[in-house]
Amino acid sequence: MSLCRALGIAWMGAALFAFISPAFGSGGYATVDGPCHFSFPRDHGAHFGHRTEWWYYTGNVRTEQGRRYGFQLTFFRTRILAPGAEDPPPEPSAWRTSQIYLAHAAVSDLEEERHLQAERIARGAVGLAGVQTDDGRVRVMLNDWSARIEGDTHRLKASDAAFSLDLVLTAQKPVVAHGDQGYSVKGAGPGRASCYYSVTRLAAAGRIGTSGALVPVNGTAWMDHEYSTSPLEPGLTGWDWFSIQLSDGSDLMLYRLRDAQNGTHSASSGTWVGPQGTARHLGSEDFRITETDSWTSPASGAAYPAGWNIQIPSLEMSLTVSPAMADQEMKTPETTNVVYWEGSVVVEGSRGDVRIRGVGYTELTGYAAPFDAPM
Amino acid sequence: MTHIGFFFRLFGWFILRPMGSAKGRTLTVLLGVALGAAVFTSVRLAVHASLEAFHRNMDAVVGRAEQTVLVPGGRVPESLVARLLSHRQVKAASPISTTYVRVAGSDTEPFLLLGFDPLLDRPLRHWRTTDAETPVSAWLDLIRHPGTFIAGSLLAERNGWKTGETTTLLHAGEPMTFRMVGVMAGGGLSAAEGGMVALCDIATFQEFTGWRGAVDRIDLILAPGETAAAVQALKKDLPKEVQIRPASRTRESGRMMIRAYQLNLSILSFASLFVGTFLVYSLVALNAASRRKETAILRSLGASPRMVFALFLVEGTALGLMGWLLAIPVSGLLLPFLLEGVSETVSTLFVRVSVPGFSLSAWEVLLSFTVTVAVAGAAAVQPSAEAMKVPPREVLAVIGRRGVPDRQTKRLTLAGLLMIAGVWPLARLPGPTGLALPGYAATMLLFIGFAMISPAVLRRLGRSVSIPLRRLAGTPAYLAGRYVKDSGTRTAVSVGALITAVALFVSLVIMIHSFRETVKLWVEQTVSGDLFVASRLAEVNDFRDPMTRDQIALLHSLSDEAEIVASRRFSLLYDGRVPYTLQAMAMDPFLRHGDFVWMRGDARASRPALVQGRGVVISEVFANRTGLSVGDRFRQPLQGTAVKLPVLGIIRDYRTQGGVVFFAFSALQAQLGDVRWTGARLYLRDSSGWTAAELRNALLERGGGSMDMVLGKDLRGEILRIFDETFAVTTVLLFIALAVAALGIATTLTILVLERYRELNTLYAVGGSSLQLRTMILWEALLIVSVGEAAGLVCGFLLSHILIFVINRQSFGWTFLYRVDWSALALSVPLVIAVALAAALPAFRAVFRQPPAAMLRER
Repeated sequence: MSLCRALGIAWMGAALFAFISPAFGSGGYATVDGPCHFSFPRDHGAHFGHRTEWWYYTGNVRTEQGRRYGFQLTFFRTRILAPGAEDPPPEPSAWRTSQIYLAHAAVSDLEEERHLQAERIARGAVGLAGVQTDDGRVRVMLNDWSARIEGDTHRLKASDAAFSLDLVLTAQKPVVAHGDQGYSVKGAGPGRASCYYSVTRLAAAGRIGTSGALVPVNGTAWMDHEYSTSPLEPGLTGWDWFSIQLSDGSDLMLYRLRDAQNGTHSASSGTWVGPQGTARHLGSEDFRITETDSWTSPASGAAYPAGWNIQIPSLEMSLTVSPAMADQEMKTPETTNVVYWEGSVVVEGSRGDVRIRGVGYTELTGYAAPFDAPM
Repeated sequence: MTHIGFFFRLFGWFILRPMGSAKGRTLTVLLGVALGAAVFTSVRLAVHASLEAFHRNMDAVVGRAEQTVLVPGGRVPESLVARLLSHRQVKAASPISTTYVRVAGSDTEPFLLLGFDPLLDRPLRHWRTTDAETPVSAWLDLIRHPGTFIAGSLLAERNGWKTGETTTLLHAGEPMTFRMVGVMAGGGLSAAEGGMVALCDIATFQEFTGWRGAVDRIDLILAPGETAAAVQALKKDLPKEVQIRPASRTRESGRMMIRAYQLNLSILSFASLFVGTFLVYSLVALNAASRRKETAILRSLGASPRMVFALFLVEGTALGLMGWLLAIPVSGLLLPFLLEGVSETVSTLFVRVSVPGFSLSAWEVLLSFTVTVAVAGAAAVQPSAEAMKVPPREVLAVIGRRGVPDRQTKRLTLAGLLMIAGVWPLARLPGPTGLALPGYAATMLLFIGFAMISPAVLRRLGRSVSIPLRRLAGTPAYLAGRYVKDSGTRTAVSVGALITAVALFVSLVIMIHSFRETVKLWVEQTVSGDLFVASRLAEVNDFRDPMTRDQIALLHSLSDEAEIVASRRFSLLYDGRVPYTLQAMAMDPFLRHGDFVWMRGDARASRPALVQGRGVVISEVFANRTGLSVGDRFRQPLQGTAVKLPVLGIIRDYRTQGGVVFFAFSALQAQLGDVRWTGARLYLRDSSGWTAAELRNALLERGGGSMDMVLGKDLRGEILRIFDETFAVTTVLLFIALAVAALGIATTLTILVLERYRELNTLYAVGGSSLQLRTMILWEALLIVSVGEAAGLVCGFLLSHILIFVINRQSFGWTFLYRVDWSALALSVPLVIAVALAAALPAFRAVFRQPPAAMLRER
């Protein structure tokens, strides 16, 4: 799972799920109860029968002059009525739909320590938002923001008054299915799971603008795609999620599900992806994450961890993860009204005797307010 | 003791104590000022409440929208929403469609149904529900379930709706069953239409109304940057039939209309206050005159002229202050009546407002206080200035100086005549649109001018009638004439009050009569027809919904019995600023049965061109607002095309929400292709032998129940009824002004008697009988009232021209045929004299209140 899922969960939890389905159950939605048997490009597209779905991109890029930026662009889809539960009139309006989309985007200007963000929301109708699959090409769009997937290439476009990004991402590794062939268990019981895959390393090239003019940039990016129906297990308050690209060519995804006592839930897990793209599942017992620092947001008052030590004994890996800049807090009053931290991080550490470095993205949810509405 | 402290002690001894010993007089003046102040304050508060309600409504409906995208006379393709949201100049875009709907099987008034996208609208408008489990669940329900709405609190309360209940709503199309999924809590959109509003998802709205594929408008918030450049950029990227306008435009035009009405009523109510200030003048003048001896003593003891001036000025101001305080409970009585009357008038004439109550506006209270105290103080300036001229040596004088020098009267007369001469040029000056400021300034000039020439008129009258009166009615009448001749400015001021009141009465009687007669003519000619039909709720929805093909076919099925005049209306803005109605009508049958009331242009010569669609006729209001005249070219973009036709004539029209432009239905069809009607009027054929009611019943029997129908005579009667209701407030204000003037007459005559206590008692002592003295007073009253009435009539006729041809034109853009209601005036003249003479009764009683011997002993 990508913990951009946390965002989706947060939104669902705070807004939709409590209303749609207070009790655990699929209620007519497609469920995830076994291996997902991904097939591409089909599964890059939407899975309209599931309740929620998201396409998530993050990355770290720099200009020729060495100026560094982080970025994130996430599209969410949610179905607000289960298949078969709709009762459309005989001649429905073109606006009639059960699909709602929202998107968050941010650019972290690491030199000037500016975190620029924007959000969008629209229903999947009358050309406002949607996912189109056509001849192997997938286009996820919301207004003028879009992600187009064709083969190994992902084209991202998003802009707002304060920033814009236009990037072409090229996969450097094959798609990695998390869990058991994408069947990513999120709690007790077979239904508490999602279909989850990632492209853990993409070469990013394109342009980013933060002050009007677009500047050429290059770097690396990460893509997650996940869809699910079931709500999160009750009692969880939030998530710490890491996507890390290391200098030895390997990549690491870890998430820690937190309970009210800041304990780690046993469903927490991760995936290590070797330089050649081979994946290795990590259970919650395979890693340990220790917080080393904290930062309090002047805007929300939320106190976030701001430094971690990650130990993965089975890989002889020890990593120190630090935010590339402190304030990368996302505030989403127009869409989800959820406050979370999603930002670029830098990594140092070792694997065995070899020193390694890396970049990545971290997502921290449930610190401004607990997610008592579960998924 | 400080200087100020001493001043106020002196004020207590010198002013308040005598005031207290003449309670009746003081109370009369206070009552006059209080009535004037109460009317002024209540009217302002009542209109302010309507204006506030309108603002609240517009704020709620417009929200944070900066620009609005619309298609004049049509609807905006919904595909533009996505296009606009992808535009770099647009930060937020929200499609909006609205219509008035009615609850099936209920007599409750129609309410506004607003269709929107709850997601896209979030940056623009705020709303929440009282009972939603989460903030999101309410809008989620709207999107998820077809046929759901969230009601404004007033709407839910009036219909007794509970969340989850269903109700059937009626619109021009098919009825639809809705389920209420929530009630709006206070603030934001809940304030729209005073709570008589319901929100539904845009999909539900389209499914209900059938207006698929398009929306009424798209509200925008622009991306940060220069607005003008952004608008230009957007215009370039939008189809040519689409226009982009500031979202505040509707608000501004509505505000301007209410403001004009507010100004008119304020001025009218100020007239009561203005008349009340004459009372203040009279009382201060009396006190100053009757205390000349005391003033001279005060001066001889060292009081400066300035202090004497200040003492009397503060007396006037104190009268204003006390009058204002007394006005508070009086306003409490007047306000409920005015609140209802004013809000109904505003709703009928200009924009729908729902006024739940009034809120005390600090600004209005301050304005009322300041105006009342200031005008009362101003009224005291002249007598105070007279008092400060009293020399200390007058202590020793047996009789103080009295009377007004001839020279002063001449100066006043000259100034008054100059003012009257300046009235018409001033009235013709250009003023701000919709505000008749030059007209009102001219009115004030006219009143003041007439008040200033009244001493000369009295002098001349007294001089010329004294001798004939002696022959006619004996010595008392002669003495009355002589006194009137010499009474000077003091009498003139009361005459001025009477002139003002009579002039207001006469001019408003003429104006209302002219207006009504002209409207009646317009109704008979232009609003002709035996039966009017339109799609359901067409009127309240600005005739936006065309009739269905079935409805049109139904009407055609009766073409043997009635001739049908089809029409199509569009509510538009000319040049993007002047609201008006463009009405296409089958001209040939219309002109055979009815006509326009032509003002300019050759009706006969223009007729063929009008019938063939080679020109338009425009209403006077439209002509005045746009500057278009006969021969000019009328241009209007309409649903992607443009109507470009010469103006053939200017006609009278009295629909109140802007002007109107008429042109041939055939021209519209040629312009737009197949055009459906929004309404029709039916003229019975003689051969049918039917009555209009039978025609309506025939339509109902054949399935015409889905249309709104009204008999022509009922419609015309309703227009005249609304007209009469509209002037209810005006009439009440008019009578209050007259009542205040009557108080003025009572005070003036009492003052005249009291002033001449000694003379009257001397006359009595030297042999005059009390009957002779009372007869003399009666003749004085008669002469004064006659002068006031006569001058008031002249002033009123002049004022009626200003009202009809200047103030109405400047305020509303229309004028009327000048018609004098001679019978009403003939009845009012003796009535006013009788009322004024009745007001003289206190003066009769005042004569000989003290025994003459006591009076003479005092000397």
